[in-house]
Formats: sequence, C-alpha cells, structure tokens
Amino acid sequence: MELLSPVWPVTTTPRPAKTRPTTLSGVRIALVDDNLDIPFTTHLETLLTERTGAKVRRLVKPSGTAPSPASLIDEAATSDVAVVGIGL
Amino acid sequence: MDLVSERLNVEDYDAAVELFYERRWTDGLPVVLPTRRRVEAMIAACMRDPQESLGAVPPKGGAATIEKLAINAVMGGCLPEHFPVVIAAMQAMLEPAHNLNGVLQTTHMCVSLVIVNGPIARRLQFNSRDGVFGNGYRANAAVGRAVRLGLWNLGGAFPWDTDKSTLSHPGEYAFCIAEEEEDNPWRPLHVERGCPEGSDAVTVFACEAPHSVFCYGTPEEMLHVLTDSMCSLGNNNVHVLGQTLVTLNPLNAEEFARRGWSKADLRQYLWEHARRRLGDVRACGVVHEQFRQMERDAGRYPHRYDVENPTTRLPVTATPDDIHVVVAGGRSYFAAVLPGWGGFGGFAVTRRIEWSS
Repeated sequence: MELLSPVWPVTTTPRPAKTRPTTLSGVRIALVDDNLDIPFTTHLETLLTERTGAKVRRLVKPSGTAPSPASLIDEAATSDVAVVGIGL
Repeated sequence: MDLVSERLNVEDYDAAVELFYERRWTDGLPVVLPTRRRVEAMIAACMRDPQESLGAVPPKGGAATIEKLAINAVMGGCLPEHFPVVIAAMQAMLEPAHNLNGVLQTTHMCVSLVIVNGPIARRLQFNSRDGVFGNGYRANAAVGRAVRLGLWNLGGAFPWDTDKSTLSHPGEYAFCIAEEEEDNPWRPLHVERGCPEGSDAVTVFACEAPHSVFCYGTPEEMLHVLTDSMCSLGNNNVHVLGQTLVTLNPLNAEEFARRGWSKADLRQYLWEHARRRLGDVRACGVVHEQFRQMERDAGRYPHRYDVENPTTRLPVTATPDDIHVVVAGGRSYFAAVLPGWGGFGGFAVTRRIEWSS
C-alpha cells in the first residue's frame, strides 16, 4: 500500500563548527541572558570574567519564553564565543 | 490532486503501523494510515490549495500546509468534515499571542486546549456535556488528536528533547471540548470574543488539565469555592498573571443566571476575590519573586499593585477579561478550573471556522 509522510522534509544542511578557542583569556564572550534567573546569570557572568579573563558582554532577551530577536542574535554573532543556554 | 509528500510503499497494515513508530511519526498510539485516497478526501472537504501554508510550526519549523495537516488529520481519525475545525485550531495556535513556541517547550505543564463553538459542534457530534474533557466521542478525540499530531510531526517538540514539560498532562494526546450552547443561559465564548451569533469558531488556550471544583449551591457558595480554587499557590497565575479558564456545568450556570448574574458579573467577582496576600505569595520563594519581577520589567504586570506591601492582595489575572468562562459538562456538582501558563503566553485566540477559501 502507498502512504504519505506526515512530516516536513528536512532541508537544512549542517555547517561545520568554528574552531574552539584554546583559552578564554581575552576572548569576547556574548552571554545571552534569558531573563529567567537574574541572580544565577549574574553569578555566571562574574565567574566567567574573574576566572577566565574573558570580556563578557551580557545580552538580555526580552522574554525567556520566546526565541531571541534577530538583532540580538546578530549582536551575539560579533563575539568570539556565545553562551546561549544554561541549565540549573 | 497534486500532492508533494514523500510516498512510502509498505507491504501491509502491520508493517505500516510499525513504520510510523520506527520513524517517530506518532505520539505513542497507533494511527489511521494516511493513504492518498483518505488524504485527498480530507483536502477536498476544505476546498483549499494543498500547498497553502498556515505558517511554520515551532520549534523545528515544518510548514503547516493543508496537505500536511490533512495527512495528520487522517492519522488522528478525523472524517473530512472535521478537517476545517483542525485548520482553524492550527491557525489560532500560530497567532503570536498564543506563543506556541513557548507553549510547546516550556517546563510548565500547559497544553493548548481547543474549544469548539457554534452549530458545527452539535452537527458534528462534539461532546459538550457529561464527561466533556474525557473520552468516548469521535469528534473531540479525532480533532484533538489531529491537532496534536500536526504539532508533533511538523513542530517536532518531543519530550526528553525540546519539549521540556516537567510533567505534562494527558491532553498531549488530545485536548478538545465543545461549549454547551443550548443548556446555557449566557452568550457562548466565541460570540463574547467577537464572532457573530450562529457562526462556527474555535478558541485555543494553553492551560493545565482540569482541576475539579466541588461547586454546588447558591451563587455565593459556588463563588466561595471557585475563588479559592483559582488562586492556589501552585499555579502560575498567582505569580505571573496571564489568563485562566473556569468551566461551569450547565446547572451551575443556570443557578447563577436565575439569581441575576451575568457572565460579566461572574468574571468581575472572580477577579476581585480570587486573590492571595503578597505575604503568602512571597513565602513560595525567591524564584517565584524573580518571575514576577521579570513580568513587571517586561510591562506585563501592572504597576498599580504595591508589591512591597505584604498585605497587598494580588489577583490571578491583570483584568477580569483574562478570566475565560465556558459552560460544559453534566448537570451536577462539579466545575473545573484550568490555570494558564501565566504571563508568558498561551493566551486565548479565537478563529472562525471557514468552509472554503
């Protein structure tokens, strides 16, 4: 019998990851803050700055329950490294 | 009919059922097999271009084309006459106010409830009375499941993956009711929300599973238990507002109306009295407090409440209109409260059911 697929065909092609930096010292890190746990993210920002010597720039999402706006993603992309998700 | 979906040649029924499991194209239950004949009949019922897309279904962004929705509607057990209801529900869920991307991936256990209104509900034999949130009725079950399968196969938010719902609820399989409009003293939900009398519509609202409320007696007695049930400290509304849903059974509604209560009166009373003292709310912990602060910063939590004063009585929604009231169920002792996700989204959206483009 002939059946039809219920899913949308995957058309994206994976891109190779950028080379990971060997040190975070002096590296520009975009820390995307999902605006859900401010003290936790502030603590992370402090640790990243103090322990690694990285230059951390915190970018705050308008809402933690919706995707980042394109402008925020573009801004994060200008850094060497971006932290886009953190788990508790 | 010009259909573009991948075609699968399968040996027999058993192999087909297992193939859908292997490819993770089903929610855990077997499906009706989407043959070309069944899918074409579904599409013919709505008289729309199979390649018309209602939008990208989050999070993975599969296009909700009429063809893909029809395939999933077949799988869910729909008849062709059910299909326009499925389309309207999907359109409503894709409205930005519903924040479907968030609803499908939040750790909260909300699921988008589909509420059917209008003559279509009776014509297609949707259940609006005894056991309305339960099983036993094809229209509720098939439309509800078709919607969920569409989200599953086109959006691709799976548990243990991007669907982060901590506990979720059984409505993930199907969550569809009709409002009882005949044994109901008030205007139905969709008319309150701007649709013409006698029109057909669906309203979607992301909410928890129904909480039983032992609700019987005079309006004052019923309001006493309803207001208490609505402001449980465990629900998101107490902390971050949003919207909530109250389902009264026809006997409840009749008693309110007999004593002169309009639905607007009821909504106003519930809003004014389903409240918790800030001190109680604060005792829930710092994370709850942060969420409320986030909502304040985002402008979604009205600044008229003094959130430094422990005697402030906090409401569960920003306005009375954010309390949705529907009449459904058997004439008996119980109502239900279905709290929402809070201020983050899942808000009610109503769409007319269109029978042709």
